[in-house]
Amino acid sequence: MKKILSFVLMLFVSSAILAQGIQITGTVTDESGSPLPGASVILKNSTIGATTDFDGKYTLENIPGDGILVISFVGFQTIELSVDNRNYINVTLIEDTQVLGEVVVIGYGTMNTKDLTSSITTIKTEDIVRTPTGQAMQSLQGKVAGLQVVSSGAPGASPTIRIRGVGSYPGNDNEAPLYVVDGMFFDNIDFLNTADITSISVLKDASAAAIYGVRAANGVVLIETKSGKLNQKAEITYSGYSGIQVAQNVLQMANAEQFTNMAIESGSAADASFILNAMQRYGRSRVNPNVPDVNTDWYKEILRPGKIQNHSLNVSGGNETTTYAVGGSYFGQQGILDMKNEYERLNLRSKIEYNATDWFTIGGNMILSEATRYDPESSAWNSAYFAVPILPVYDDLNTSAWPNNFANAQDIGYRGGQNPFPALSYNENRSKIKKMIANFYVQFELIPEKLTFKSTYNHSFTSLDTRNVDLPWYIGDGFQRADASITKRTETFSNKIWDNILTYTESYGDHNIVAMAGTSLRDESWNMLTARGLNFPYENEESWYIDQSETIVSEAVTDGGLREYGLSYFGRVSYNYKYKYLVYGTFRADGSSKYQEKWGYFPTIGLGWVISQEDFLKDFKAINFLKLRASWGQLGNDKIRASDGATTTSIITTALNDVLVSGTTTSSTFSSLKWEVTEETNIGITASLFSNRLSVEADYYSRDTKDAAIYVSIPSVGGSVLKNVGVIRNSGLELALNWSNEISDDFHYNVGVNVSTLKNEVRDLYGQPYIDGGMAEFRQRSIVGESLLAFYGREVVGVYQNDAEIAADPVAIANGLEPGDLIYKDQNNDGLIDDDDRVVLGSYLPSLIYGANLGITYKALEFSASFMGQSGNKILNRKRGELIWTADGNLDADLAINRWHGEGTSNEYPSSAGLRKGWNQKMSDYFVEDGSFFRIQNVQLAYNIIGKRINGILIPETRISFTAERPLTLFNYNGFSPEVANGIDTQSYPIPAVYTLGLNIKI
Amino acid sequence: MKLINNFKKFTWLLIMLLFASSCNDLLIEPPQNRSFTGETDYTVSSNMILPLIGTYAEFQARGWEDFPLISVRGDDVNSGGLGDQQDYAETDKYNYNKDYWMYNSVWQNMYSDIFVAHSAMEQIELFKENGASATLANQYIAEAKTLRAFLLFQLSRTWGNVFITTSSDPSELLVAEVSTKDAIMQHISDQMDEAIPHLVGLHPNQRTDIPGGATKYTALAIKALANLELKNYQAVADAAGQIISSGAFVLESDFYELFKIPGKLNNENILELQYSDFGQGAGDVKDHLFAFFGPENWTPAVVGAGSGWGFYEPSIKFIKFMLDRGETVRLETSVLFTDRGISEITSDPNYATLPAWISNTTRDGDLIEDYARAMFASGKHYLPSNQLTPGRTNYGTNKNFTLIRYAEILLMYAEALTQGASGTAGSADQAVNLLRARAGLTELSGVTNQQVMDEKFAELAMEWGTRFFDMVRLGKTTELSYDGRSFSDDKAFLPYPQNQLDLLPALNNAK
Repeated sequence: MKKILSFVLMLFVSSAILAQGIQITGTVTDESGSPLPGASVILKNSTIGATTDFDGKYTLENIPGDGILVISFVGFQTIELSVDNRNYINVTLIEDTQVLGEVVVIGYGTMNTKDLTSSITTIKTEDIVRTPTGQAMQSLQGKVAGLQVVSSGAPGASPTIRIRGVGSYPGNDNEAPLYVVDGMFFDNIDFLNTADITSISVLKDASAAAIYGVRAANGVVLIETKSGKLNQKAEITYSGYSGIQVAQNVLQMANAEQFTNMAIESGSAADASFILNAMQRYGRSRVNPNVPDVNTDWYKEILRPGKIQNHSLNVSGGNETTTYAVGGSYFGQQGILDMKNEYERLNLRSKIEYNATDWFTIGGNMILSEATRYDPESSAWNSAYFAVPILPVYDDLNTSAWPNNFANAQDIGYRGGQNPFPALSYNENRSKIKKMIANFYVQFELIPEKLTFKSTYNHSFTSLDTRNVDLPWYIGDGFQRADASITKRTETFSNKIWDNILTYTESYGDHNIVAMAGTSLRDESWNMLTARGLNFPYENEESWYIDQSETIVSEAVTDGGLREYGLSYFGRVSYNYKYKYLVYGTFRADGSSKYQEKWGYFPTIGLGWVISQEDFLKDFKAINFLKLRASWGQLGNDKIRASDGATTTSIITTALNDVLVSGTTTSSTFSSLKWEVTEETNIGITASLFSNRLSVEADYYSRDTKDAAIYVSIPSVGGSVLKNVGVIRNSGLELALNWSNEISDDFHYNVGVNVSTLKNEVRDLYGQPYIDGGMAEFRQRSIVGESLLAFYGREVVGVYQNDAEIAADPVAIANGLEPGDLIYKDQNNDGLIDDDDRVVLGSYLPSLIYGANLGITYKALEFSASFMGQSGNKILNRKRGELIWTADGNLDADLAINRWHGEGTSNEYPSSAGLRKGWNQKMSDYFVEDGSFFRIQNVQLAYNIIGKRINGILIPETRISFTAERPLTLFNYNGFSPEVANGIDTQSYPIPAVYTLGLNIKI
Repeated sequence: MKLINNFKKFTWLLIMLLFASSCNDLLIEPPQNRSFTGETDYTVSSNMILPLIGTYAEFQARGWEDFPLISVRGDDVNSGGLGDQQDYAETDKYNYNKDYWMYNSVWQNMYSDIFVAHSAMEQIELFKENGASATLANQYIAEAKTLRAFLLFQLSRTWGNVFITTSSDPSELLVAEVSTKDAIMQHISDQMDEAIPHLVGLHPNQRTDIPGGATKYTALAIKALANLELKNYQAVADAAGQIISSGAFVLESDFYELFKIPGKLNNENILELQYSDFGQGAGDVKDHLFAFFGPENWTPAVVGAGSGWGFYEPSIKFIKFMLDRGETVRLETSVLFTDRGISEITSDPNYATLPAWISNTTRDGDLIEDYARAMFASGKHYLPSNQLTPGRTNYGTNKNFTLIRYAEILLMYAEALTQGASGTAGSADQAVNLLRARAGLTELSGVTNQQVMDEKFAELAMEWGTRFFDMVRLGKTTELSYDGRSFSDDKAFLPYPQNQLDLLPALNNAK
């Protein structure tokens, strides 16, 4: 190294002496041989330089023959070349894909990943578009350590995203991270087309996110949309796919025979008589004459394959002063529920930046998104579970039914009609979502290369028109809808942010510093109006207006509004000495009109040590880069519902002598809340080893949410009031390893693994030992020292097998139990089974999430596969739980087959009669099941055509791909899908597998 | 030149920073779409009635599960709805499950409305302090007290020892101790004594400001009920006697229609939950879930009228008791028969032939078909399909729900006298014979306490568990041990709901 240095030094000295120049010309190209216009070629340590023209060519005059040229271009690695008296120098620049050389967006600025002291994971476009989805965040599943994505199967529905566990009491839309799309804040990014995204950066630790202050406690996700490049020829890209979604792991329900057995064994005369009624009405099965001749698999009936497609067209490029990217996209997805259940989205976007003068830049960015979503009738999943298999879909005997002769379970004796088809056939839930996002900015270079000022105005406007139409139908007197009803809801969201940022960059000697200061003003408003009309001419959709209704329900007219302001001052300093010792700090003061306490202050500090820059590691060839980093920071969560801070009065109506009159009630409980404060410490290692083949990212974090707002039940009155009464800690380890290797020009591969652990713990409840959640029958309890909302109940030790066991157990005698009933563990050995025997049965949060990916490229063929899984979480099978109230419905086949039905038949499941004993079927681990799963997340095979000619004509760069998304999921849970966001499975939309064929063309 | 350029740039910067910093006062904008109680103008006395109407509104919006849970025990009625809501059926059999959702729900429904009543009293007090008529304010407060007393009465009858509330703040319960049932009944009686002087001496249906609202007689009725629980029979006779002597109430001659649309705000009713469809075939409606009580399968006289759920089944014991007495009016009004139910009765050789009028078709032409969940349905919760407003199909829509009626006052009076109290509003014979006359039965003379209790059974079956609570009070546990049930005194009260045990330490100490 020293030798090289002295050699370079010599060159300088000599060039100073021999000041005679030569002319150099050449072409700068990328690896594929395409010219790179706009690249800069500069003689080192001089002002002599040139920019390549549209053909990538440059000419330099008067260059010393022993000079050094520095060739650089945005997005490519900068290289230095000795002139060596050559007159022609062609340069091939290598794209800057090295993770460690990358520049990442960090919020109000960018930073080189090498200088980071915090934990940020960035996912690039090629990894995003591999997943065929309308929801960009879905494509991150299994890819980012510490990020949990809980998929949502319904078209147009966003997945649940959790960054590093749950720090805020769930259930009130307060868990979602902050999404920042090109500077604008969002609660979700369901409107974005995945192909329009350049990168998604997940700011995981407090140090990275703190610059977003009070909005950052659940983590921050930064999204950059695609833009053009200076001096780039117009690039026209089409990308699209089309495919089909198929329901996976469909839950096997008890068939007619199993159901009949269960009903007979239940000992309920009423249930046995319903079986008899069904046989009278629909006949007896020829296979088993004691079973009705109907065997409906309701899930099969309500499911269908769904189509999915996406088409994007983008044009981008730029000249010396302007860059542009303009595009449009269409996304369409059908739901797998057999009704009008679909999602369509049309997006248009443009992004333009103009360097007006050398010190003044102006730019604008607009996205227009228009989507129509037909929501599923989600109750159908529930009804299909409980609907008895001895009921057909249609019933020819039901002649009075209209418009269709659907079967009615009441006709064979059941209380409800059960058949999910009326709801599927005669309900329509449409939402029209129109979104317009605009941001415009001006940037002044106040001191060239040092001080810049940028002012950005963002506006996001959303209008949401919901129309729910319920058409009338008649299946039976007790199973009908007499009135056609139409409910319309109009909502507008208008959010504005105005940011002013001053950035100062300075290097003197070995000291490098970037300082930033800014202000941000937020103005968010929401308005809503709802009305409902009855009995309109429903035959034609053009009459579906409240104006056409006979009756407008005055009680159903509601109006809502919200306006919140936020004002922030913030600053950041990042400093390094010789790129070896890194110091980073930010501070944000956030003011909000939402709470009684107006101002919050959120600091962070980060330190880094790039060990690989130290002399003692210079000789370790295996280590290319090694950095230790540590950070601490505080964040706020203002997703906590705004509190009234005082009692409020509301209107209530009633009937007095057949007259509708109004009165008032005054709340006697009210919340006085402030934001939650999250404090996090993060320690990590970033390394690049073995000629940059292996990259390692490892982190340990501990994140405490203080003043956590928790729902505290109001005694005797019910309901609950939010109070800042807890401390919740999430801690864990994250490890991401990536290995990539090029065996030959034709063959390279990469393998990646990421693992993250999570421990969620309630640390303090301000004096209370626990706070209850869930419902009384299916208790979830947050206990100090245990995880948030842990399932809380009894432990099953087995099933009473015979009368001798009953006789031997005083508990069984005292409670009148019988063989086939569950035996619970007497935790405190007091000889009684009661509430004191309840213990923690597990958490709905996975303690381990892992992902892996594999990529192989051989010549034009590309193969990639990714996997993911999780373990340690529990799911409450609430569908089975429903039996304690309404016992005559169907149940899953596993339970029907493996039920106790005689000595030795089961020590796990009770008998059919035992299932119905609500007083013995208490919350227990019988209902709480293991939620672990492993999944092949994505498999893609692609063929690339580059530089091929047919009859001398160049074929455009083309990529043809076949993708299988989620082709296989393995789990033991007795449900459709182990992905249940809150761990309580009542009726989740199944997550389908998706198979698509994709095509990309670049001209 | 460069200096000027820089100057321009910095001017821009300055302007923008100035703009930004002038926005501080936006942070103190109040939240939208709220009416802060603190902003209420208490000097507008005409608004003083609003919190009271709010209390009535919450009171009348009774959860559908309240009445079933409170009243299902007792030999007059069975749970019905077989195979569904097992723990409701188990409660009927005196097997209690404190985890069962109904227990907690009913507890909360009752208590939350008690707190609403307190809140209204506190609001009315503020109007009074700001110049509203003290007489009117005191009357309104007394009305809220009366409604509160009814709820607390039902809570204590069902759970025994419960909390006495003192303000609108539920968190007071976190440190409160429960009171004994006797203390609560005495508290209710005292509360009514406080309220009575301020209440109007009218029949509730004579009121124009709040038709059907509480009057002096409502408070007296609740006082009588509370003292009956205390076995303080003289106080019962005094309170009931005052109601009888007032002459404000008369028995409705058409017993069948008393529980139907013509019975709304009837001269016999003292307190009722009012519902209405406002005479419209669609749109706004205030209704109760009467479907719970309705037959699960019927052929209504008006096609398309919705059936019920088949819960709440009059017991065979009650029907046989009525048949033995030769009752027609009250049996027809109390019970809807199915063919299956009729053959179940006739399978008993002692009842092999039934009176000819008993059939599965009601006098309004609704045909009650067989259904598996029950053999009979409650007639007092039945609305004939031809009384539905055309366009409405929900079972029982537009029907009121009776809470206290004059018949019960007469019977309490008679009961008190036969227990040794002295009365000034006539004899026990007179009171009982008024009811027997309406029921088409012969007059009695020198009625015994047993005869009064039988009369009560016949008259008030399926109404608020009166039968059950009477038998518990009188220690007649054998009456309650019927159809395979076994009642003992320790089964008198429901266990506290688990949800409340988890929240309120005092309940754990009390159990």
